[in-house]
Amino acid sequence: MSGSTTATKVPPADGASAHDHSQSSNPEQQFHHDSAVKAADIAHREIIRKNMESYDAGHMKGRGRFTDWDAARERCQAIKREAINHLDKYLLQFEENVTARGGHVFWAANSEEARKYIADLAVRHAVKTVVKSKSMVTEEIELAGALEKVGCTVWETDLGEYIVQLRHEPPYHIVTPAMHLNRTQIAELFRDKLNEPDLPEDPQQLVAAARRKLRKAFFAAEMGISGANFLVADVGAVAISTNEGNGRLSTSVPRIHVAVTGIEKVIPRLEDLATLWPVLATSGTGQPVTTYGTLIGGAKRPGEADGPEEFHVVLVDNGRSSLVGHPEEREVLHCIRCGACLNICPVYRHIGGHSYGTTYPGPIGSVLTPHLRGREFEHLSYATSLCGACTTVCPVKIDLHHHLLHNRRDFMKKGHGKASERMQFRLWRMAMLNPRLYALGGWFGRKSLRTIYGLGLSGSVFDPLRAWNRKRATLPVAKESFREQWRKGLGGKQ
Amino acid sequence: MPCFVDQLTPEVAVDSVKVLRHVGCEVEFREDQTCCGQPAFNTGYWDEAAPCAERFVRVFRDAETIVCPSGSCTTMVRKFYPELLKESPIRSEAIEVGKRTFELSEFLVKVAGLTDVGATFPHTVAYHASCHALRELQLRDEPLQLLRAVNGLKLVEMTRNEECCGFGGTFATKFADISAAMGQSKVESVEASGAEYVTALDPSCLMHVQGMLTRNKFKAQTIHLASILASNGARA
Amino acid sequence: MAANNNPSRDRILERIRAGLSVPVATHDEAAPRPFFAPIENPLERFQQECKANLMELTITSDAPASAQQLSSILGTLPAGEIFVQDHPSLRRLVEAAGVSREIRWSAQGGPREVAQATVSLAEALVAQTGSIFVTAACGGRGASVVAPCHIVFATTDQLVRDLKTALSNATKNGVLRNNSFACMISGSSRTADIEKILVQGAHGPIRLAVILQRA
Repeated sequence: MSGSTTATKVPPADGASAHDHSQSSNPEQQFHHDSAVKAADIAHREIIRKNMESYDAGHMKGRGRFTDWDAARERCQAIKREAINHLDKYLLQFEENVTARGGHVFWAANSEEARKYIADLAVRHAVKTVVKSKSMVTEEIELAGALEKVGCTVWETDLGEYIVQLRHEPPYHIVTPAMHLNRTQIAELFRDKLNEPDLPEDPQQLVAAARRKLRKAFFAAEMGISGANFLVADVGAVAISTNEGNGRLSTSVPRIHVAVTGIEKVIPRLEDLATLWPVLATSGTGQPVTTYGTLIGGAKRPGEADGPEEFHVVLVDNGRSSLVGHPEEREVLHCIRCGACLNICPVYRHIGGHSYGTTYPGPIGSVLTPHLRGREFEHLSYATSLCGACTTVCPVKIDLHHHLLHNRRDFMKKGHGKASERMQFRLWRMAMLNPRLYALGGWFGRKSLRTIYGLGLSGSVFDPLRAWNRKRATLPVAKESFREQWRKGLGGKQ
Repeated sequence: MPCFVDQLTPEVAVDSVKVLRHVGCEVEFREDQTCCGQPAFNTGYWDEAAPCAERFVRVFRDAETIVCPSGSCTTMVRKFYPELLKESPIRSEAIEVGKRTFELSEFLVKVAGLTDVGATFPHTVAYHASCHALRELQLRDEPLQLLRAVNGLKLVEMTRNEECCGFGGTFATKFADISAAMGQSKVESVEASGAEYVTALDPSCLMHVQGMLTRNKFKAQTIHLASILASNGARA
Repeated sequence: MAANNNPSRDRILERIRAGLSVPVATHDEAAPRPFFAPIENPLERFQQECKANLMELTITSDAPASAQQLSSILGTLPAGEIFVQDHPSLRRLVEAAGVSREIRWSAQGGPREVAQATVSLAEALVAQTGSIFVTAACGGRGASVVAPCHIVFATTDQLVRDLKTALSNATKNGVLRNNSFACMISGSSRTADIEKILVQGAHGPIRLAVILQRA
């Protein structure tokens, strides 16, 4: 496939975003920088707002198809809870059913092992072209780069993924990877990269152009890679929910199909999909179900007209097993990756998906990433006002905002907080335990602030509240506290 | 009483006392109280927050009813004390104290059974649904019922009124840019609604929103629900 | 896969088991409540959903009418070969429709990239979501995705009320024991990746037509 640009997506590992030129090896600093830039970007905010409003409308309409949306959420929560609370049993049942029919199941402890298995497979089978349908886990393990290193050309076939691949960017959102772009930008991109200079801005035409280009890849590829929305234990099948048909073609035409998935995707029974499919679609896009609910249990069987000759499932751990034993956060593994929490989150709406610098952004990403990638990402648990909107929309009822709080507690317990901050809170505690000290401190604080602001020094280096005052009008400070007023007569007879 | 109301916006407490007395309650202010512990708790310093919480329980253990003009402080006491004080000998008392602690509008409507407190406030008002009160205390309708009963008050619709204003405690200074951007969106909604005033249950939201309103030179003013309910005429 | 080929397997299982032995907060299992309205008239519901899914549904009364419908659909397509699932009922249908095009039958393999249409049977139809449930036995995997137009021939006795019934039947009948593949199809391919605007026809079929003959 000459002329195709299949660049390695810039991995979010070092937090660099496509628009940032000040590289920083510190994810926290990078986040502060990127989120500040995006928060001030009005045009970006408008695009996201428009997209989210469209999603909101579709989503609410979708919820209306349920007579009791909360009951559906509870059922989904129960299914996933059963699955995770017996994770070993169901994974083994899944593996047994798949291998009994000739499929291969590989358990990868980490990204490196997963990449190696798949790259070795590609080399053994002299794979030159790979078609990929959407899989956040393949982003997580940075698979594309590993395949390119062994000489494969990797085609992202999901339209949104294809667009960001052409732009050398990571996906912006776990369900709609190119949400941040408008048709003008996409048309320009396609005219250039697809060598179709007369391509109009019309979305229909743009999709048709992508179809033309990618169709050749589907029929030339030796290996197709997919993700998995669910691993169905009782029948030993991978369930994939898609709309575009690229997931179908990627898993039907090439000789080898590899499904890459996190270990937490398992569910007990095929029938569970009768609830999970509609709920996932409603929360993800507002649809009643996605166009294709594909079930794959193995490679082509004798008598079947077509299908891959080999079927591999790569089960990725990469830190997930550590959450199983977390007394409060095991339920984080219930996530079905619908994206609803990203969509409702006011922080996400203002800083966008790239600012997080992680595979999984938004509330679920902020909760999950420190457990998968370590303390460098703890700051994400603080970059939230804990408004709780995420928890209200999660279709499997994960208590997301409380887990952000739990993360904060755990990090402080481990001593990861700034020493100065800990000291501040120790002083604070001392004052709060002593009402006279508290009243005195309050009086002194107000007096000094009123003096500082009276001198016009608000926001300056002399202002202890400058972080506040630099972004807002100067904080008005009362002359008398309430308790002073109470003593002065407010508490008197009514 | 929220610690920062005491120190920074005491009129919220003054007006709360007025309203409660007006509807016939005997109001007591225990000077021993300091803070519910939320700032430390929310930042993850549970070891520092726990003694404050225990203190709160001891100060209020024999109070018949505790009313607080803040959804977030009320949430701290009722929803989070059981978890924060899980290992504490005072835990069951804390749960009992929590059951008797109410946010102001919650108390008026659900405990005292009132929606009309005899207030007059002839202005257009938009309502911002503070997060803790909305999602932790499930107070959606109660504040609106109180506002609708106020003489002369016209409640106007505001877009995205359940979206967080961006205060979030220490988030407001640690991630000031994001906080300000969220506040900016909020005050744009306020301005677009045309309301003269925007009200909420949480003084912390209002402090943040006022800061953004003033910075933008928008015409709307913030006012706490307690101050509306204590009002008996036009504001100066 | 043997443990020596995959040493991480046992380590991961061990970590999971260790984690599961940690006590976590228990939850009361609420009694399950229904969340979908019962479907009184499955055929009517199927029609409504197919319309919403932008599928072309035609209900026919007998074999000649079905053949006529097939002929009519093929008449709207550009010239070129079509792919048909090799099954006696489709052999009869195609003959009765008087198809003059090149036909590639599924016994010869999967559809070729140039196919203008694919024709297949279905395992079941689902009223709740207007879905066609196909398996590998319905002409293979490509039969429902390769060509721009997919035509399904089914009979009304194949219609079930909801996803729960369809999937429960699939489990009972060992559909995934006997087939490497199955798919619940609820429309033609589509995408909203550009400005969230729905575009019909992405990489899969642009049209999905159903000829539903009364049993």
